[in-house]
Amino acid sequence: MSEMKKIKNLKEFSTSADRFEGANLLCPGCAHSIIVREVLNATNDDLVLSASTGCLEVCTAVYPYTSWDASWIHIGFENGSTAVAGAEAMYNALKRKGRLKQPDRNPKFVSFAGDGASYDIGFQWISGCMERGHNIMHVVLDNEVYANTGGQRSSSTPIGSSSTTAPAGRVSYGEKKNKKDMVAIMASHGIPYSAQVAPNKWKDMVKKIQHGMAVDGPVFINAVSPCTTEWKFDPKDTMMLTDLATDSLVFPLYEIIDGHELNITYRPKNVVPVEEYLAAQGRFKHLFKDEYKYLIKEWQERVDANWAYLNRREEARV
Amino acid sequence: MANTGWDEFEIGAMLRTFDGAIEDIAGTLQEDRNYSPNSSFTASVADWRIEKPVFNKDYCIDCQFCWVYCPDISIISRDKKMIGVDMDHCKGCGICVEVCPTNPKSLLMFPEKADEETEIANWPAKEDKEK
Repeated sequence: MSEMKKIKNLKEFSTSADRFEGANLLCPGCAHSIIVREVLNATNDDLVLSASTGCLEVCTAVYPYTSWDASWIHIGFENGSTAVAGAEAMYNALKRKGRLKQPDRNPKFVSFAGDGASYDIGFQWISGCMERGHNIMHVVLDNEVYANTGGQRSSSTPIGSSSTTAPAGRVSYGEKKNKKDMVAIMASHGIPYSAQVAPNKWKDMVKKIQHGMAVDGPVFINAVSPCTTEWKFDPKDTMMLTDLATDSLVFPLYEIIDGHELNITYRPKNVVPVEEYLAAQGRFKHLFKDEYKYLIKEWQERVDANWAYLNRREEARV
Repeated sequence: MANTGWDEFEIGAMLRTFDGAIEDIAGTLQEDRNYSPNSSFTASVADWRIEKPVFNKDYCIDCQFCWVYCPDISIISRDKKMIGVDMDHCKGCGICVEVCPTNPKSLLMFPEKADEETEIANWPAKEDKEK
């Protein structure tokens, strides 16, 4: 059971039997379920899952229906990670006492949460899980906004984005504060593996998930999840938006091993200007007015600086 | 549930996805699973669609891009071959059409009421790439 699933190419991947069901109530074109499917299909092991409150939870567990074909629990907004950590601690205790009926099945413990439940509300809980060293994986579906409750800003919302609690208008250009660097924060707990992934690079994603499931200790995964409703683009363009996000280096794909060894896992052949990424989304529409054009320049500078920083860290191995 | 008051709901609920025991879910394909009525697999979101994808297998190269990027598990792939679209769970987002790499595309969006056979008979010809 516990050997790693072999996935050489997409055809081989497509023989996976999905453990996430359709007829969930996520919006058409939502990237959440693409990410969830890629995570669940990366392994053949049993799964113990949780979801914190957010789009994924409210849309996949609408009483009397459930879209999950594995053990799944939802408790509150903040404690999806600790619920799974508790299950993991219980599993280990029962295993130690020899009270498991099938002790060799080695289930994997994964918690899913949105950026609101990870960057803001569940931050302390996740930090606690990482610090205590539970053998769990926390996957953030980062859509940069509280999409479930109507588009309030979260601390993942980037500068210039218009959200309902930081709207763009005559006096403001929207969100004024920069996005929190969650991967770096989690990596500085000294956890064995943290990474940033994107659903369009499925191979990179599967590799990282399998690596994360193989290591012993807490794992943090940050996945970009374009939101058709709040980023304001056409549902069919989800993958195009994800391509733009990774190719413009707004969401660079990298991994941090043991909190210090940083590897960049995807270097785009043709780097797209950030302007194209911003122009594809309705939430940045106002930045193309004359008075806010300087923000696009600042965006580009910020993204370039971050890319240079990642490259320097990769070289220095610190 | 009709006669329960506002304070009489169950505090927690447990749903079972399958009827009876199941040993190896990851090794059992969807058609072989014994879903209970609580699984959303038994529900349908077909009425969400305004446009539906139509699959023309003559042009398909089985690259499986549509399978991996479908958010609704509606692309049915068996033995590394794309078989068709699950119309009960497809919400008509159009991602499969966007990611289809063939020329002409082997999946195209048509209005929900369109007749599949007529559309396949009138499939657009190969487009010349702009140079």
